[in-house]
Amino acid sequence: MAERKLLFEHTHDPAFRTLDGYKATGGYQALEKAIKMDRQAVIDEVKASGLRGRGGAGFPTWIKWNGIPKDKKTTHYVLCNADEGEPGTFKDKQLMETCPFLLVEGMTIAGHATNADQGFIYIRGEFIDAARALRSAIDEAYAAGLLGKNIMGTGWNFDLDIHLGAGSYECGEESALMSSLMGERGMPRLKFPHAPLPTVAGLWERPTLINNVETYCCAPFIIKNGGEWYASLGASTKNSRGTKIFSVSGHVNKPGNFEIEFGTPLKELLEMAGGVKGGKLKACVPGGSSVPIITAEDVDRAIIGYEEMSEVKSMVGSGGCMFLNEHTCIVTFIWRTALFYANESCGKCTPCREGTRWMLQILDRIRRGNGQKGDIELLKDICSQIDGRSFCGLGDAAAWPVAAALRVFPHEFEYFIENGKSMVESEPTLAMAP
Amino acid sequence: MAAAVQIETVNITINDIEIAVPKGELIVEAVKRLGLEIPIFCYHPRMKPVGMCRMCIVEVGFKQPDGTVRKMPKPQAACTLPASEGMAVYTDTEMVHRDRKGVLEFLLINHPLDCPICDRGGECPLQNNTLFYGPSTSRYVELKRHAPKAFPLSKYVTLDLERCIQCGRCVRFTEEISGDSELAFRFRGANMQPSTFELRDFESKFSGNVIEICPVGALTSAKYRFRARPWDLETKPAVCTVCSNGCNVWFDYRVGKMVRINGRTNEGVNEEWTCDKGKFGHEFYNSEDRLLTPLVREGDQLVPTDWARVYSDVIRAFANGGDKVAALGGAANSNEDVFMLNRLMTGIFGTKNLDHRFERNLVTGVGEKLGVSEVQSTIASLEDAPSMLVFGTSLADELPIVFLRVRKAWFKNGAKVVVAHHAPTDADSFAEVILRYKEGTEAAVASGLLSLLVSAGKAQVPAATADAIKPFTPEHVEQLSGVPAEKLRVAAELLEGAPIITTRSMYNQASGVDALEALAGLAMVTNGKFNCYSLQANAEGATLLGTKEGMHTHQILNAAAAGELKALWLVNVDPFALYPDRELVQQALENVEFLAVQGTVASEAMHYASVVLPQCAPAEMDGTYTNVERRVQRMRPVLKPKGSTKPGWNIFSEIAVRLRPATPFFNPGEVMAEIAKENPAFEGATYDKLPAEGFVIR
Amino acid sequence: MSVNLVKGVVKPILAGFGITARRLKHKKVTVMYPEQIREQYPRTRWRHFLTRYDSGLERCIGCSLCAGACPARCIYVEAKENTDTERYSPGERYAVRYEINMIRCIFCGYCQEACPTGAIVLRKNFELADYKREDFIYTKERLLEEYPGQSDEPFKGHYATEPAPVFQG
Repeated sequence: MAERKLLFEHTHDPAFRTLDGYKATGGYQALEKAIKMDRQAVIDEVKASGLRGRGGAGFPTWIKWNGIPKDKKTTHYVLCNADEGEPGTFKDKQLMETCPFLLVEGMTIAGHATNADQGFIYIRGEFIDAARALRSAIDEAYAAGLLGKNIMGTGWNFDLDIHLGAGSYECGEESALMSSLMGERGMPRLKFPHAPLPTVAGLWERPTLINNVETYCCAPFIIKNGGEWYASLGASTKNSRGTKIFSVSGHVNKPGNFEIEFGTPLKELLEMAGGVKGGKLKACVPGGSSVPIITAEDVDRAIIGYEEMSEVKSMVGSGGCMFLNEHTCIVTFIWRTALFYANESCGKCTPCREGTRWMLQILDRIRRGNGQKGDIELLKDICSQIDGRSFCGLGDAAAWPVAAALRVFPHEFEYFIENGKSMVESEPTLAMAP
Repeated sequence: MAAAVQIETVNITINDIEIAVPKGELIVEAVKRLGLEIPIFCYHPRMKPVGMCRMCIVEVGFKQPDGTVRKMPKPQAACTLPASEGMAVYTDTEMVHRDRKGVLEFLLINHPLDCPICDRGGECPLQNNTLFYGPSTSRYVELKRHAPKAFPLSKYVTLDLERCIQCGRCVRFTEEISGDSELAFRFRGANMQPSTFELRDFESKFSGNVIEICPVGALTSAKYRFRARPWDLETKPAVCTVCSNGCNVWFDYRVGKMVRINGRTNEGVNEEWTCDKGKFGHEFYNSEDRLLTPLVREGDQLVPTDWARVYSDVIRAFANGGDKVAALGGAANSNEDVFMLNRLMTGIFGTKNLDHRFERNLVTGVGEKLGVSEVQSTIASLEDAPSMLVFGTSLADELPIVFLRVRKAWFKNGAKVVVAHHAPTDADSFAEVILRYKEGTEAAVASGLLSLLVSAGKAQVPAATADAIKPFTPEHVEQLSGVPAEKLRVAAELLEGAPIITTRSMYNQASGVDALEALAGLAMVTNGKFNCYSLQANAEGATLLGTKEGMHTHQILNAAAAGELKALWLVNVDPFALYPDRELVQQALENVEFLAVQGTVASEAMHYASVVLPQCAPAEMDGTYTNVERRVQRMRPVLKPKGSTKPGWNIFSEIAVRLRPATPFFNPGEVMAEIAKENPAFEGATYDKLPAEGFVIR
Repeated sequence: MSVNLVKGVVKPILAGFGITARRLKHKKVTVMYPEQIREQYPRTRWRHFLTRYDSGLERCIGCSLCAGACPARCIYVEAKENTDTERYSPGERYAVRYEINMIRCIFCGYCQEACPTGAIVLRKNFELADYKREDFIYTKERLLEEYPGQSDEPFKGHYATEPAPVFQG
C-alpha cells in the first residue's frame, strides 16, 4: 500500500490556506451538509465511520460526542487539543499550518453535533506559525459567516478562539489542558471514576468535548463522504478505520509526515520514508517517545492498527515514528527520553515526580560509566512503581519506554553497566544535549 | 435542626465485608466505618481531595451480575474515589502493600531524614506511615535534592523545602479555608515547591494552621522552633482566651512552661483551626512582666508584700463605700470570677458601680432596648445560611474564627455574603455585594437597607419607625454614605432570612447605636438573626452575670476624675488600651483616692496603683468562659499558678469572708453551682453537667 | 578418743591451712585501689561523656532522643539554634542545656544507643561518688570534659568513625 492522502491531499497547495482555495477543493460542503442534518445523525455518522481518537489513546470518538448532554442546560464547549508535545510527533503542526480550515470546519461540525457555543483551540506555545495560520483562517471564517453569530443562517452561534500554551508537555493531557485554559496551574484534574467525565463537567464544570487536531480534521471527510465510506479505509484491520498521519523521523533518508491507511505494514512506512540511513535498522519507536520500543524483527511483522500494534507489544500512540539504526546506543536513547519526562513531570503526584527523577539519575549514572549491579532490577522496579500508580498518563508514559527498553534490549544495559561504555559506537547525532 | 434527610446509600464491600455507605462517600472515609485505616498524606477531611500523594492507593473492582468481582486494571486513590453501587475495595492485598511501600520509598528518596533535629520528629505522619507501611531501607544512592534549610516564610512560619513532600495541603488551605491564597506551587516536576508569591512574607491571619496540617516538618513554627520534642511535652485541652471566639486548643507545656498551642476539634466553634492571634498570642504566660507577688505602694515605689496586707488595704478602702467605690473590668475573667466580683461589690461593699464595657457609646444596649437578644446565631449555624450580612466589622481581625465560618458558608454552600464596612476587609474577596460607606455613616446605610425592605412592602414596622426611616431612600443614602443606590438595592434583595453579623466595636462608631437599632429592626423584618458579637474572652459571661444598675464606665471614670470616688478596682483590664479617651482615664486614675489593680501582667495602670493584686493566668486555674455565641466552656487548670498568684474568684471570696464570715467556696465548681442557682440559664453549665464541647445558653 | 580429736579437730585445721598454703603460690587478685585501678571489661558502662568532632564542634545536636529513650527519665535537654557567629555543632541545632541526674541514672546505656550522632557515650570512669546531691546533676560543661581514663577506647559507633560533616550553610 502506498500513501493515502486524505487530510494531506492539498497540504502543498498554498491556496488551500485561504477560504476561497479551501472552498474550491470542496471545503465547507461538509458543514453545509452537517448543519442541515439532525445533531444525532451527525454523531451516528461519526459512529459509523469507526473514527478513534488520534491523540494517542485511540478512544472511539463518537462516544465522546454522544456523551454531551442532549438537553442543553448550560454552555457547551468544544475543545481542541493542539498541544502537540510528544517527542517525535509533528503531524498536528503541519495540519494546522497547511490545512487550518480543515480543523476549523471539523470543530464547527463538532460544535453543531454537540450544540456547543464556544470552541477553544489550545495550541502549544511554540507553534507560532500554526497559531498564525489558524488565526487568519478563523478570521476569514468569521468574515464569511461560517463562525460567530447565526452560522449559515441557522440561528446557531458558535465562537472559536485560540489559546497559546506556555510550554508544558503536561498541558497536552486533557484535564491539565483544561486547568491551564482556565488559568490554573497546568496540573491534571481528577478523572472518571473519581470525578465526572469532561463531557458532563469539563471546562468550568460544563460539558466539554475534547479531541485531537487530527480527529477533528477527519470530521469533514466523514460527513462529506459518509461514515460508511470512511470506514472502508483500513478495513483490513480489526478495529482501526480511516487514515493516520505518521511523523517519521530518526535514521531515515526522507523524514516527514506520511498519511497512510490503517492496515499498512510498518515496514512500508519505513520504505515511504526512504529506508534506513547509515546502517541496518535496529529498533523503532512507532508512536511517539512514550510508546514501547520494538526491535527490527518486530518492525518487519508489525501492521499499523490500534489492536495490531499490541501484538508486537507497542502502540500506535500519536504517530511519532522514530527509526533507529544499528549505531544507536539504546541506553543513551532511553536516557534522553527519561530526561525529557523528568523535565516535563508536573510534580503533582509522588510516583511521577520522584520516580522520573530517580530513573534519570540512575540512567545518567550508567551513562557516565558508573552503573552498578542491580541497577536494571531497580529500574524495572521503579517502572512498575510508577506505571499505573501515577495521577495521570504522564507517569505511565515515562515508565513504558524504560521498561520496554529493559525488556527488549537488556544486553545493552548489562554491557554498559559492566564495561562502563556503550556496546555500539554511538553516532554523536543522537546524543542530543538536553 | 433540619428534619432527618433520607440519605441515599450504596452497598459496597471492603475487604469482602459488605457495608452500606452514603452514595458518593469517599472510600478513605468509608473504610473508617469498619475501623480500618488507609494511610494518607495529602487528603484532609476539611479540604477538597486531590489525590496527589498516591499513598491511599487501594485495589478496586466492581461486582459483576454473576457475583464475581472484576478488578480495575490500575489501583485507585481511595481519597478521591466516591463509593458507588457494587464497588469492591481491597485495602490489604499484596499489591496494595507493595504500592504503599513504593510510594513511601519515592517520598523518602529526597527527604533529608533529619528527624532528630526536626520539630515534627515524633509526631510526624511521614514517620508513622513509614514505620507502618514503608520499606526498611532505601535503594537510593544518588544525590538528594537540596534546598535552603529553615527559610523564614513569615515571623511565625519557617519553611524547610528539603523536607517537603509536595502534598499541597498548605497551598490548598490558603486557597480553600483561609482564602488568602498566599501559598502556591512554583516550578514543576521534582523541583516543585510551595512558596509565597515572589517569596514575599506569608501574610495570613491563619498561617499557623499550615504548621499543624503539614504532614512533615516542612512548615514549622518559628516560635516553637527547637523548644521541645513531642515526648518532652505534656498536653492538656484548653480554651483560648485571647478573643471571644473561645477556640478549643491544646496547650503543650514543658516543665511548667507553655511552649505551643495547637487547634483542638470542636465542630461547634473552631472546627480544628486556630488564628495566629490565638496560636502565637499566649506568650504572656512566660512573660518577664508577669505579676508574681502582691504589691503595695510605699512612696513612689510598689514593694512586694503579702496577701494579708493587700486584703486589709482593699477592705479599708472599699468596705461600706456605697456609691463612692467602683470596679471596672472583668470581661477577660472567667464566669466564676465575674460572679464572685459581682457578689463582693454588690453584696459586701454595697455598690452597683460595676462595668466591663469600654465602648464609646454606652447607652442601654440595643438588645435590651428593643427586647431582642444580641446573640441569635451559633457559629456553626452560619454555615447553613443562604445569605449573610457582615456589617461594620473587619471580621477576620475581630473574630477570625467566625470569619472562617462565613467564608466556609460561601465556599462550600455558595452563601451570598453582603459586606458593609468603611474600609476594605478580608471578607471582600468573596462578598456578593460590598457596601463601602464613608466612616460614620453606618446608620444611614443600615436604615437605607431597612427602608428599602419596608417600602417594598416586605415587612411591617411600627409607624414611628417607618417615619424615622422614610427619608433614607437609596438615593439619599448614596448622597450620605457614598454607597451606590443600585448596590444597596441588590443587597436588600439578598437579606431575606439572613443572619446579620456585627460586633460590639460598632458602639465605638459615632452613629453605631443607630445603625445597630436599624440592623436589629432589619433582622426582625427579614426573619433574620441579629448578632452583635462581643470581643473579649468572657464579655458575654460578664454581661449575663454582671449588674445592670449603678454607674457605667463613663460615669465611673468621670466621677473618679472629679475626685468623687474613694476607691476604684481595675479587674484584669487596661483602660488605657480599651477606653477611647486616654486623658480621662489618666485623670481618673490620678484622682481616685485608692486604686486597686488586679492583673496578670504589668500594665500602665499600675503606675497609679495603691495595691496590686496578682491574678493567675487563665490556664493556671479552673473556670468557665462564655464565648460569642454564649457557649460556656470549661478551662481546666493546665499549669500551676506562678508565684503567689491566685485565681480571681478566690481573691474576691477571701475578701468577702474577711468581712462577713461564712463558709467560703472551695472550688470554682461550687461557684458555678451557685451561679446556676441564681441564674437558671447556666443550669446546663454546672461542672458535672457541662459537656466537653461546651453548653450553649439560649 | 584421741583419734576422734585428731580426726575432728586437727585434721580440718590442717586441711584449711593446706588450702591457704596452696593458694600462696597463686597470683594475687586484690588490687590496691585507689592507687591501682583494675582493668575494666570492654563493655563497661559508667560515666557519661559528650564527645566532640575532631574539628572541636560538639556532636550533640540537642535532639532529646536520649531523654526520650531514658527509662529513668534522668536526662534533660534544651536545644537552641546555631548561628554563624555562635556555632556549637554542625547543622542547625545544638543543646544549650544538657543535664543528667546521676542519682537517677541506671547506666543502661539506652541513651548511647538512641544517639544518632554518637554524642553521648558511657565510658569507664566509675568514680562517681560525691558529697552533695546537687553535684550529681552533671551539666553540659561537666559532660563535655575530656575523658581522663587511662585506656581511652574511643567509641566505635557508626558515626564516630566518620569525619565531622562540614557545615555548608
